[in-house]
Amino acid sequence: MDPEFRGDSDHHDGTSDAIPGGYPKQRRPGELVFALFLTAASLGLLYNAYGIAGFESLSSAGSVPMAVTLAMSISAIVIVIRTARRPMVKTETLSKDILPGTALFFIALLVVFSVLLKPLGFVPTAALFLIVSIKLLARKSWIYTLSISLGSLFVIWVTFRVVFTVLLPTGILPEAEFLQFFRNLTVGGPS
Amino acid sequence: MDTMMAILTIFTHPELLLLVGVGTFAGIYIGAIPGLSVTMAVSILISFTFSWDVYPAISIMVGIYMGGVFGGSRTAILLNIPGAPSSIATAMDGYPMAQRGEAGEAIGVTTVISFFGGLIGILVLALAAPFVADFALTFQPRDYMLLAVLGILLVGSLSTGSLVKGIFAGAFGLAIGAVGRDPLTFTERFTFDLQIMEGGISFVAVMIGMFGVSEALLQLQNIDKKSVRQKVDKIIPSFSIVKKYLPLSLQTSTIGVVIGALPGTGGDIAALMAYDHAKRVTKNPEVPFGEGAMEGLVAPESANNAAVGGAFIPMMTLGIPGDAVTAILLGALFVHGLNPGPMLMIDQPDMFWFIVGALFTANIFMLVFGLTGIKVFTKIVEMPRSIIIPLILLLSIVGAYAVNNSITDIYWMLIFGVFGYFMRHYGYPLGPVILGVILSRLLDDNWRRAIISEREDLGRFFEGILTSPLSFVLFVAVIMIFVSQTPLWTAVKKRLFKQVGHDQNV
Repeated sequence: MDPEFRGDSDHHDGTSDAIPGGYPKQRRPGELVFALFLTAASLGLLYNAYGIAGFESLSSAGSVPMAVTLAMSISAIVIVIRTARRPMVKTETLSKDILPGTALFFIALLVVFSVLLKPLGFVPTAALFLIVSIKLLARKSWIYTLSISLGSLFVIWVTFRVVFTVLLPTGILPEAEFLQFFRNLTVGGPS
Repeated sequence: MDTMMAILTIFTHPELLLLVGVGTFAGIYIGAIPGLSVTMAVSILISFTFSWDVYPAISIMVGIYMGGVFGGSRTAILLNIPGAPSSIATAMDGYPMAQRGEAGEAIGVTTVISFFGGLIGILVLALAAPFVADFALTFQPRDYMLLAVLGILLVGSLSTGSLVKGIFAGAFGLAIGAVGRDPLTFTERFTFDLQIMEGGISFVAVMIGMFGVSEALLQLQNIDKKSVRQKVDKIIPSFSIVKKYLPLSLQTSTIGVVIGALPGTGGDIAALMAYDHAKRVTKNPEVPFGEGAMEGLVAPESANNAAVGGAFIPMMTLGIPGDAVTAILLGALFVHGLNPGPMLMIDQPDMFWFIVGALFTANIFMLVFGLTGIKVFTKIVEMPRSIIIPLILLLSIVGAYAVNNSITDIYWMLIFGVFGYFMRHYGYPLGPVILGVILSRLLDDNWRRAIISEREDLGRFFEGILTSPLSFVLFVAVIMIFVSQTPLWTAVKKRLFKQVGHDQNV
């Protein structure tokens, strides 16, 4: 197998984890900017690590952070130099292949989700999220969207609330009363 | 006797047995569904099983790991899409077999051989780990430090093409692990005077972000991909076929265990090396390699499952994970208050033997589920991505929130998710980041212990390395990786070659 193998034509389909995308000999749109960003961030962190304890002693709290950020900075600079030398991929654009509208939309959707989670509660927020995203991605009828999203939300909620006993923000729904109601039904009164 | 009892714990508790079964079953499907990965599943599961007892939590995760390594082979055979990195080699001969209409046979043999490989891995784990742990007691802090560096470098250099990107990723992970108050001196590190940074960044949030969110965001681009349906008939293989490939499987399983046991290398590398080995030793294959040779299927599949047992050896005895999944499992043990390392084997041998028992059980479940339910399987794998992706994102959010009941962790998860998304696009490996986060503490502690015991004298520190055989070997290994692959070396090599070429032209 080619050690530079990067997955199949669409880069990642299923071959996740340790297999990154990109091309071995070419530069993707935005790759250089990303590498420059990493360099700047690494140098910033190196400066910050120096601030922890300076060159006080080899065993100080700052020695490993400094070594680590130095390694980051050096490798980031090497990456920048290597990336800059490579020719651009001709067939790709930033808005089409790297950060398409759907990806941006979903990132925004996730931010909205986390902002609303506390005040609104898990069930309404998750329902909203699933309905919007499934409707957008599957482009099917409202009945399909609603039944799939609410159905899977119910399964997820039962699994986590009951089986894994994860406490999720309740928000506006009277969740505890609701659970107690069902417990009363099944057990035959509060025990 | 106690050992036997500990191994059998799993059978005396029906709920644990059930959890291993559920885990294995889920693992096979998670490994098989393109877009879902075992690493992702285990990271999300850590947070959900957070409130559980340690035994049930370990049971389900061990099951998922074992099932997942095997499950990846199915889509490799049926769709030419390796479901997991460890089944890349499987696709090379598995898919051509499926195209010839031999998918059933390929899956059947793969299952039996995977079971066999898994068994060898577990046996070696059970036999070797206690000795390794004894040996590990003699390790100096500097040896641990070197082992951690070696592990991160190996993951960075072997799993992908670019070592520099691997080094960056590993160092980045180590830096993330250092955020917060230093446990020894209580000095703030990388906190930028923000109170929320003082406690450090939750590694579960980092993991879910990197392996869950980034993967899901990436899959958005493949939303309309339809999978190809393959005809699958009889899958239980005949005994004679299995017998024929058993000797090869034994050899490649051995490769698998050894590669798996090296810190920093896991099933993916084991499978590729086994494939290479099979190619060398098989003189006259019935079908040429790459066109559907059974040997090309048997070798990687026995090796990657054998590597599972192997990977547990350094994880349990040294506290150093073999790959991204074991790194996450190691994190799970930390979360449950266990501290894997030689002391775990001495203080809580039951825990170790329980894991051996759980692995063994998962292996049996894998055989059973692997040879049945192929009809259901093809249905589930075809589940549309337009539903899977929103669900993964939802689970990721719940997972990140659940560990500390904190919204901040969700934001961390999002930040690392988006960051990981770009890393994937631009060819940065994610495995070393996780290894770095997990090993940061170990590396830091051991470096400081080592240098303090040498009275802060670098000269004495290196003298110590040179005079101890073990430290010396580890040190040389670290240097070798650098020398053979650093940009400096390639630059020198290139320049030399250019020089020669230039001279010739003149």
